[in-house]
Amino acid sequence: MEAIWIYQFRLIVIGDSTVGKSCLLRRFTEGKFTDVSDPTVGVDFFARLVEIEPGKRIKLQLWDTAGQERFRSITRSYYRNSVGGLLVFDLTNRRSFEHLKDWLDESKMYVQPFEIVFLLVGHKCDAGHQRQVSREEAERFALACGMKYIETSAKDATNVEESFTILTRDIYERVKRGHISIQEDWEGVKSGFIPNVVHSSEEAVKPGRRCPC
Amino acid sequence: MSETKSSGDPAGKTEIQENSDAQQPPSPAPEDVDPSKAEVRVTRKRPESKLPSEPKDPEQKQANENSQQASGAPAPQGAWGYWGSWGKSILSTATATVATVGQGISQVIEKAESSLGIPNPTDLSTQIKEEERQEGSSSSEHPGTSRESDSTSPIGGAIGMFSSLSSVVQSTGKTMISGGLDALEFIGKKTMDVIAEGDPGFKKTKGLMSRTSTLSQVLREAKEREEKQTAEQVSADTVRKAHYGMLFDEFQGLSHLEALEILSRESEAKVKSILASMSGQELHKMKEELEQIREAFSLVDFDDEDLDGRKDEDGTEFVKELTDVLAELQISATADKLSRARKSACDRISELNVPAEGSQVEDGKEASEASGAELISRCSVEGAQRSVACPPQEIHTSAITSLAELTARSIEQFHKVAELILHSQNAGATTLGQASALSQMTVILCKEISLLSRRFTSCLTTVGSNEKGDVLNPLITGVFLEASNSASYVQDAFQLLLPVLEIAHIQTCTNSSQL
Repeated sequence: MEAIWIYQFRLIVIGDSTVGKSCLLRRFTEGKFTDVSDPTVGVDFFARLVEIEPGKRIKLQLWDTAGQERFRSITRSYYRNSVGGLLVFDLTNRRSFEHLKDWLDESKMYVQPFEIVFLLVGHKCDAGHQRQVSREEAERFALACGMKYIETSAKDATNVEESFTILTRDIYERVKRGHISIQEDWEGVKSGFIPNVVHSSEEAVKPGRRCPC
Repeated sequence: MSETKSSGDPAGKTEIQENSDAQQPPSPAPEDVDPSKAEVRVTRKRPESKLPSEPKDPEQKQANENSQQASGAPAPQGAWGYWGSWGKSILSTATATVATVGQGISQVIEKAESSLGIPNPTDLSTQIKEEERQEGSSSSEHPGTSRESDSTSPIGGAIGMFSSLSSVVQSTGKTMISGGLDALEFIGKKTMDVIAEGDPGFKKTKGLMSRTSTLSQVLREAKEREEKQTAEQVSADTVRKAHYGMLFDEFQGLSHLEALEILSRESEAKVKSILASMSGQELHKMKEELEQIREAFSLVDFDDEDLDGRKDEDGTEFVKELTDVLAELQISATADKLSRARKSACDRISELNVPAEGSQVEDGKEASEASGAELISRCSVEGAQRSVACPPQEIHTSAITSLAELTARSIEQFHKVAELILHSQNAGATTLGQASALSQMTVILCKEISLLSRRFTSCLTTVGSNEKGDVLNPLITGVFLEASNSASYVQDAFQLLLPVLEIAHIQTCTNSSQL
């Protein structure tokens, strides 16, 4: 409850239907994995705190969009207020990889005048033998589009934490350097607050001083 | 009833009425004639109409209040009765007059400007404490100000505002028809801010009135203030209070509301631009059709008497009604999440393990100890003094949590409905049919919120029957306030769907004419 955070980042998760966006988010926020789930309708929401430095927490507000084409006109409306995004494809589904460019183009068009910091996520890396996209190929694509690349599995919890932490750090660095700034009518980055009890970083580092949550 | 119906009221009329009534004392609303609601209405009107003859003796009032408290706690009932009246008068636009609506707004503005509530007679003692507290705080940390009065006063102060807030809510549906979304949000955010913040001095309301922000923004600000306050209190050894705004956000209510607002705004813009491109007969016809949809959005009828005697302990009735209404929409939306929220509220009530009403031991003191002992293990608080005070606090927390969850799920439901309506072209249902189904859904949800707070407040009165009024009353009032708050979120979310249905209707029409 005592959610004390220095920033709130809004991240959007996009990619084709059934690549496992919701599963990834459920694993990250609830630590659970379900084999079968209903397709997302429009957008769903998750939230979690991430500690990027001792005592420095960032609240992630996660917008889980529907991958289905029929919802595309609606999900477009939700891009604008996101500072970062996970661009997810299914390593065992080549088409979902081929659609990445469309997703990127669309997001760029609708996020104007802002920019989204993306992380490319090759999902379902547990299904090794069914892989249809090689790591090298995905890395090349990510590099060409100025993104980092990571392979994850919600099923066996591989790199789930890491993917969100990497993206959060990236955005945090940009905010610190002033490349991204907080704006009044934009929900991408919100400034939080530091409680009175924690006066300095030294104090904050000491474990047990912070509120136990 | 029908003679007061004014849903066809043109845009400007309400506002003119409002201005002309601004300086007049409110006259009784037409529904006052209902004898069963008379007591309730008195409670509600007191702050305005009986102020000059206000008894000046606070001790006498205190004694009065205490004796009331001892004799089966009529104060909560009064407040609850008020809620009942709220349900009746607010949702039943058919009985509300334009004059009432205008007064509602002007009252709020007056209240807001007067910066401090007029004392509510039933709570005069609290009010006086409140004033002391304010004086104390203005002379920076008055040593005589006890923490007890600190914790009770804001809510006590808020009860004075309650009547005027209700008028705001009352006017919501009406203003929608004539003033559109802006008016709704203007009113909504004021209501939210005042209630969520529990700021008796209305210090920020003035500022709010000149600003134009969306409902979710205001809610977010309220939540952020709560978070800040909580953060500041981390080290202080204060009793942790349930913060509705924070809980509402934790249940993702804010996010769903924001997303719904985005869809509503975009739909509204599309409707405007399409209408601008139409002309002549086509435009005339379309405007008439949209007007019908708009009327369906204003004719929400809510008969509070339905609630009396209704139990629905396990929530099956609620889920069934909801499922039926969702089926009418023909968009494959389910009531799963709402029914889960309803269930978790029930679970919370049964976890509280409050003895059933009437099973009290004759000796009040023993009863208090018994119920205190039952709950003591759950509270993990040492000291006899605090263990007695703790259970009502815990019930309050459960109540606020349940209200926040049910409301968040309701907003989510409206958001999902909006998304499904927007993408599903030409479903079997007509837009008009969908509009009336949605207005029924609003009633079902508001009823459920109402029922839920009844159950929690009856728990509070059972457990806290031996509590002092100044401990119990603020908790009960708090539940009422948040229930009223919840119901207005639900109604506001419902109104956000209007542009969505309008654009869906326009698209259906243009699609079928192209075929």
